[in-house]
Amino acid sequence: MSEVWIYIGISVGVLSIGVALYLYYWVKRQDPGTKEAQEVASWIKEGAQTYLKRLYIALTIVSVILGFIIAVIFSLNLGDVTQNSLTITPSNGIRMALAFVFGALCSAVAGYMGMGVAVEANVRTATAAKESLTKAFRLSFYAGSVMGLAMVGLAVIGMSVIFLLTGQAEAVLGFSFGASTLALLAKAGGGIYTKTADIAADLVGKIEVGIPEDDPRNPAVVADNVGDNVGDVAGMGADIFDSYVASVVAVMLLGATFGSESQLYMIIPMLLCTLGIIASLLGIQFVRVRENGKPGAALNRGTIITCLLFAIMVAALVILAELNYGILWATLTGLVTGVIIGFTSDYFTSEDHKPVVETARVSGSGAAINIITGFSYGLMSVAPSIIGIVAATLLSYYLAETSGISGIYGIGISAVGMLAISGMIVSADAYGPIVDNARGIAEMAGMGREVIERADILDAAGNTAKAITKGFSISAAALTVLALFAAYAETVEAAGISIEISLRNPIVVAGVLLGAMTPPIFSALTMLSVTHNAFDMIEEIRRQFREKPGILAGTEKPDYATCVDLAAEGALSSLVLPALLAVGAPLLVGFILGPDALGGFLGGSIFTGVIFALLMANSGGLWDNAKKYIETGKFGGPGSDAHKASVVGDTVGDPFKDTAGPSLNTLITVMSLVSSLFAPIIAAFHLF
Amino acid sequence: MTVHLYLSLLPEALIASMLNPEEFGAYYAVGTAKKSRGKAMFFEVNPGFRNDHFHIEEAIKRCIPHEDGRPKSSIYISIYRVLEHMDLSALKELYLVTQDGRTLSLKSSDDIPCKDDGLHLYQEIIPVTPLVASRLDPISFYELIVKNPTSLVTVPAICFVELRLGELAQDPEMGLIEDLPYTNSDHLRQCLSDVKTKYVSTKMVDRIHSAVFSYRTVKNGIFVGNSKQLRYYPMPSQETLRSEYYRWWRSANM
Repeated sequence: MSEVWIYIGISVGVLSIGVALYLYYWVKRQDPGTKEAQEVASWIKEGAQTYLKRLYIALTIVSVILGFIIAVIFSLNLGDVTQNSLTITPSNGIRMALAFVFGALCSAVAGYMGMGVAVEANVRTATAAKESLTKAFRLSFYAGSVMGLAMVGLAVIGMSVIFLLTGQAEAVLGFSFGASTLALLAKAGGGIYTKTADIAADLVGKIEVGIPEDDPRNPAVVADNVGDNVGDVAGMGADIFDSYVASVVAVMLLGATFGSESQLYMIIPMLLCTLGIIASLLGIQFVRVRENGKPGAALNRGTIITCLLFAIMVAALVILAELNYGILWATLTGLVTGVIIGFTSDYFTSEDHKPVVETARVSGSGAAINIITGFSYGLMSVAPSIIGIVAATLLSYYLAETSGISGIYGIGISAVGMLAISGMIVSADAYGPIVDNARGIAEMAGMGREVIERADILDAAGNTAKAITKGFSISAAALTVLALFAAYAETVEAAGISIEISLRNPIVVAGVLLGAMTPPIFSALTMLSVTHNAFDMIEEIRRQFREKPGILAGTEKPDYATCVDLAAEGALSSLVLPALLAVGAPLLVGFILGPDALGGFLGGSIFTGVIFALLMANSGGLWDNAKKYIETGKFGGPGSDAHKASVVGDTVGDPFKDTAGPSLNTLITVMSLVSSLFAPIIAAFHLF
Repeated sequence: MTVHLYLSLLPEALIASMLNPEEFGAYYAVGTAKKSRGKAMFFEVNPGFRNDHFHIEEAIKRCIPHEDGRPKSSIYISIYRVLEHMDLSALKELYLVTQDGRTLSLKSSDDIPCKDDGLHLYQEIIPVTPLVASRLDPISFYELIVKNPTSLVTVPAICFVELRLGELAQDPEMGLIEDLPYTNSDHLRQCLSDVKTKYVSTKMVDRIHSAVFSYRTVKNGIFVGNSKQLRYYPMPSQETLRSEYYRWWRSANM
């Protein structure tokens, strides 16, 4: 019976990819617009593909090296090491290594597909906006859906195939680790790229020279638009792919301890994902907007309908298949909390609410007040999400326990419940950078005021969707790593070592402190990369303006390619230290201080990681929207002292919200997966 | 190549150039390798204009193309007390240039704005650059500064712009600032309140204010006058600027 469910999962995954491919070709059939617009789009496409090519070459090297290490380590039968007899089973190692590489590959393909359609859709959206808002919205949203549906389809197929072939949750863990490693590098690299280009383009273009956003005279304008694709589409896709798979694998690992019913409880998370895909496929059909309608409302409607459909389907599954009701309650808990957290994130970043308006209001007193206010609201914004995570944790735990299944398994299921509708969530999120790019192309190709104003309306909805997705993904990552944390403890205990993570144990306290230190250090490394690379690019832009006065006069074309190269090289070379930290820190702590300390390390990293991720994502979004609010003519409007202060706040917030913040949930997931994967080895070899 | 004459307002200067007004605007705002950048405002002057105060013929002789064939961008004819020696009827169109070099041309009009009962804010552009709050309408303000023999503070010629006050024009104490980007708004409110309630008709808001102002704050247009004549260059409405001059408007709003 279990195999039937898995085949159904694979079929739905294939259907999802089929719909994604259909939409991809539908998008490609749309009018690509004027020659000028196509030329601008080709620069962006070329830049994005060049970066991804370099990134994937680097990732291939990393995957091969890590795959080899995994193959060697997992070939050793460590159960025998403790008994002073070492046997080697190469098939175990090869299986794990292949799962790892397959995970990285699926994640890369999902990101590449999303970006592939995004760079085709941007110019077509701009062209469609000439005709109507409705058409432009439909085109950009369907293009975003390619990413969402491809991602969930590939994830479910990948996990199902591996489980079908091996029957082991540990092999799916290898798949998840592959996906997470790629996600970390894609997200952090994309984040560094996009903000390097954005900050450099703004600081020289807007502030020093006084040219508007997306002006073709700015040498960094193409790099800025490329950044939207590699950071917000490919990077974000890889990030959610990673959370999605990690949430499933955490539950599978816990389900594996359920004795005779383990097979069923291991496939339940995949079943939920399958239902989530069906709900997303249906929900996407409800995302439509009339000519004078609100795109943001249409996106929210799609999310809500998808949630309702998913809830109904899960209820039907639990009743008809006579599953434990704890599954239903935990799923609903995760789903409802995810939506609530998503929309409360919007409260702190939307122009319709007090935090943004207040930050804009006080900006008249200078940049310092703007930053203090925005940062303070960012700190406060942590509260609803943390309370939501606490509620989801406790509710899912106790509802599962009272229904007769493991409470910690319930927590894992609630994370899956949050992420099961990722097909819809990612579709709405990927729509944002597409319309942002469309606006840039309209501006650069001189497509006129009406097109730009329509693109602005579409873009505003994209920003809201982005805020909601961030809340969703960070909260889901928090629940996932809580489940992974439990899975880690189970794995260590399965290796015959009892684990006690008590704050009365100084080794554990040491681990907690080291873990708590990791997310801030990681954030600092990525943000310093942005400032370092932006400094280089600023010099390049200044050089071009200085040596080619015709650029500003509009008689000479800037050298866009050099800025694109600078951003790409800078981003890739900046990834080494953060990646080493993510993979190396838990291993060092584990091998030196032992499994108890590593448990404390994971706990510490989860706590500061989640808080930093929420703080950075929300304060960055808040500063951005405070500036936009002033630009609508409030508190003095553009050029006023308040506006100048808000520009400073927005620039500070850029690497917060688009570089460090979104990478942190991937960081804590990667560290949890590394710990779970290497737990048996750490249990066997550690100094203390 | 034709040699054009331009009366620059930022800073005050009479310039001969082989560039047409749009090219000259871009050159003047954006600069060349000398990196002199910033907004520019200038009138095109009738090429037949001559005045003994200016060595125009000499400048035109010097205005020859560069060796590589590029036109000569600028020959400065005078940089001091230019406006007072100008015949205002020789002024053609007025060009407003954004800091990134986009140019908008304004034609003069005889439809000088009629009186209204609100307060006014004037940015003097040349020969001096104070920011002045007043209860006088533009014509009365011009007459006070240029034609009033009893006034202690007069100039032979003036160019100024009336800036928007929004709700402050009627209610300086409580009116909303909204999209007005003026610095030190409390002091501005006080000055407006003073001209409304006290005997004085004008009050200096800022005596060393930069003559550079945000184009979106222009209320009606730009005035240039001497003892013989007042000319008025109306600014198109914001809606017209947004719909018909979008690129200029976007740069102007930076």
